[in-house]
Amino acid sequence: MISKLLYLNWKLFLARLTNLQTVLIIGYSLFLVGMFINLMGSALLVIFLDSSSSLQLDLPWLTPEIHNLILLTFATIFWIMHFSFTSTRLLNMEENRKLLALGYPAGKLSWHLNLMCLYHPVNVIYNLTWLVFLSLQINSAWNIPIVVGAVLLNYGVIYSIKHRFLYMVEKRFKVIIFSFIFVIFGVISVLAILSRRTQSVLNDLAIEFTQLVGAMELLPGGLMFRSAKYSHEPLLTAVLFFFMVLLTYLVFRDHYYKTMEGLMRPSTIKIRKDVSRLWVFLQKWLGDNAGKYYYYVMTHPYNKLQIFAVALIPLVYIPLLLIVDLGDISIILIATMLAAIPVALLGMGMANMFGYEHREMLLHMQFPGSIEKQLKERFLGIITVPLFIFYAITVFEVIKLPQLGDVFSIYIANTFFFLCFMIVFLWSSFYQYQKASYSTFSFKHPIIPQKVTFTMSSAIFVLGYTVFVPLGDLHIYRLWIMTGLIVAIGFYIWKNFDLLAKAFKAKILIKLWSNF
Amino acid sequence: MERALIIKKLTKSYDKEPVLVELDLEVPKGTIFGLIGPNGAGKSTLIGILTGLLDYSEGSIVINDLQYTPSNETEIKKDVASVLQPPLLFENFTSYEFVTYVCEMYGTNSRDLNDKIKSLFSYFEITEFTHVKTKQLSSGSRKKLAFCAAILTQPKLLFLDEPFESVDVISIGRMKNVLRKLKENGSTIFITSHILEVVENLCDDIAILHKGKILAYLDSESRKELEKNSSLNEIFEEYVEVRPTHPDELNWL
Repeated sequence: MISKLLYLNWKLFLARLTNLQTVLIIGYSLFLVGMFINLMGSALLVIFLDSSSSLQLDLPWLTPEIHNLILLTFATIFWIMHFSFTSTRLLNMEENRKLLALGYPAGKLSWHLNLMCLYHPVNVIYNLTWLVFLSLQINSAWNIPIVVGAVLLNYGVIYSIKHRFLYMVEKRFKVIIFSFIFVIFGVISVLAILSRRTQSVLNDLAIEFTQLVGAMELLPGGLMFRSAKYSHEPLLTAVLFFFMVLLTYLVFRDHYYKTMEGLMRPSTIKIRKDVSRLWVFLQKWLGDNAGKYYYYVMTHPYNKLQIFAVALIPLVYIPLLLIVDLGDISIILIATMLAAIPVALLGMGMANMFGYEHREMLLHMQFPGSIEKQLKERFLGIITVPLFIFYAITVFEVIKLPQLGDVFSIYIANTFFFLCFMIVFLWSSFYQYQKASYSTFSFKHPIIPQKVTFTMSSAIFVLGYTVFVPLGDLHIYRLWIMTGLIVAIGFYIWKNFDLLAKAFKAKILIKLWSNF
Repeated sequence: MERALIIKKLTKSYDKEPVLVELDLEVPKGTIFGLIGPNGAGKSTLIGILTGLLDYSEGSIVINDLQYTPSNETEIKKDVASVLQPPLLFENFTSYEFVTYVCEMYGTNSRDLNDKIKSLFSYFEITEFTHVKTKQLSSGSRKKLAFCAAILTQPKLLFLDEPFESVDVISIGRMKNVLRKLKENGSTIFITSHILEVVENLCDDIAILHKGKILAYLDSESRKELEKNSSLNEIFEEYVEVRPTHPDELNWL
């Protein structure tokens, strides 16, 4: 019975995987192997560090304390990733519930589903990574049972927290976690920049390192790390192991009852009353169509997160770049990051243009008034808000960051930057609408996937370098070229404004109807 | 008699698979018309075309004396509303936001709109969901909400696709009352269903659709005549040529 259940759940998991996700899983497995080799190398480095003077000469900054800090940072970030990206809905409960009607006893199903969770590919990857990582840190054979127990307990605790605080995790906690990750990366970046500038700064920070290590050891990732590092005494091991087994038992017992509850009472969603002034405001500002579109986009949790990420990167890095003045590099990076904000918003807008409504769009077809007109209004709205942000940023740059250039240069460069990406998004959307596919800028998948984020980030920085790098006397020629291109792109967009609306009507609506 | 809807030689195919084949149909104004047919007969496709959601390969459609062409589309849609199965709602809106939005789009947001909404919601017992997002509603409440929105647009022609599916008995009775009232006020109601009892009591004229073709059009007079000898169910079975079953067919049971 359990093998059939395992087969069902793996099949469900694989059926839902896109090609990209399959590649990511394979890539992640390769990453695990790579990390294993790297950790082996790190371990050897630490082991030989005391005796090998050549290593100390080659990497003088890699003291055992810093090495310890790096491993602790990894453990902390990895735990945060484990916590945030392990969804409690990895198992398709709706499909599994059907087994209850096919003679599967509820108690048995609950217990088996908990086992299924443990065998789920995503969990296998996370737990295996923990085992590999911690195994490389152990001091003696006495640490092995503790490490295994810690991995199991950690998995159980994460699931318990997520079950208990599902709402919080979904609505708010991811934002907190994301910000935490960004802050950590920000801190590491600061350390990297400072350590490159002067060795003495690094030495001054030694005390802070000790405090940081002390704090990180108390975080969940740090505790996991310590499970492999504690002193190896048989009595202490026995006591720790006993408590871990007890806790693991209690946690899994809790899982059993919670899963059972989920199986028997699946829809306990409380009906909530919503009174939103946002909709009224957006309807007045942007009209019925664009206003509705933005209302959907702004209330979607994924977009809140995306906007948060878009705002956070410049908030962390621009002050850093202003403090650590890297000359022209700072100017290019700051100007690019600021120019990228409206571009990112535009990208999100285009990606989400029809994504959140799906078959609701059919209702728009029934309204008096042509669908093309309604879609064009929506498209105008998508441009209006990023343009608003674009002007606000340009004014901010002119007033607060005069080192970026004169008013004309900033304005022309930003306009060019914005229009270039607008045309890219226009083409991408049009291309995807022709295929009526599930991928980015399609009508069904409104979340910008990582591959596009990566490609777009690269494109943003390449274009940023081209547009913002100081050229001295040649700068005037670049301004003229950009001005010419702005006129050409603007004309093209104006002439092809209804391109997307037509493509959507021709291809997507048929698809929406057939999925109806 | 004046016609609310005239369909001539309407043809629609999906990937060269014909769904509607040279379909001819006329629906008199101010009546409740029922279109019945087995699953896959083409009822939903026809409703999709008539409500502007789908295009068609050939034929012509006249709604309220206006030829269905791109230039007339807006004018036609002003007087047409529909409730599809499953109903189309804006999931992120509350019930109140949804109906007011629909009225805004139809231009029927009069001063007394709030009073109308209150009375309709109260009549269909969905007042408690006024400020609840539509995605949280049960399937019955969703259907009732879509029905309320359609009524508030004051349509001259109302299309209802399986209107009573997943709606409770009391609400079905109330929906029928509203439909009869609309008919009294001169509106035409076009209902599709595969449940014969639904149309039997409510509709004036009935047509049987099967494999994309109208097999029979039964106006009230001919229905009376036919139903003297057999039930609508038997008439339907006769027209769609239901395969006879053998008593021993499922012997293993």
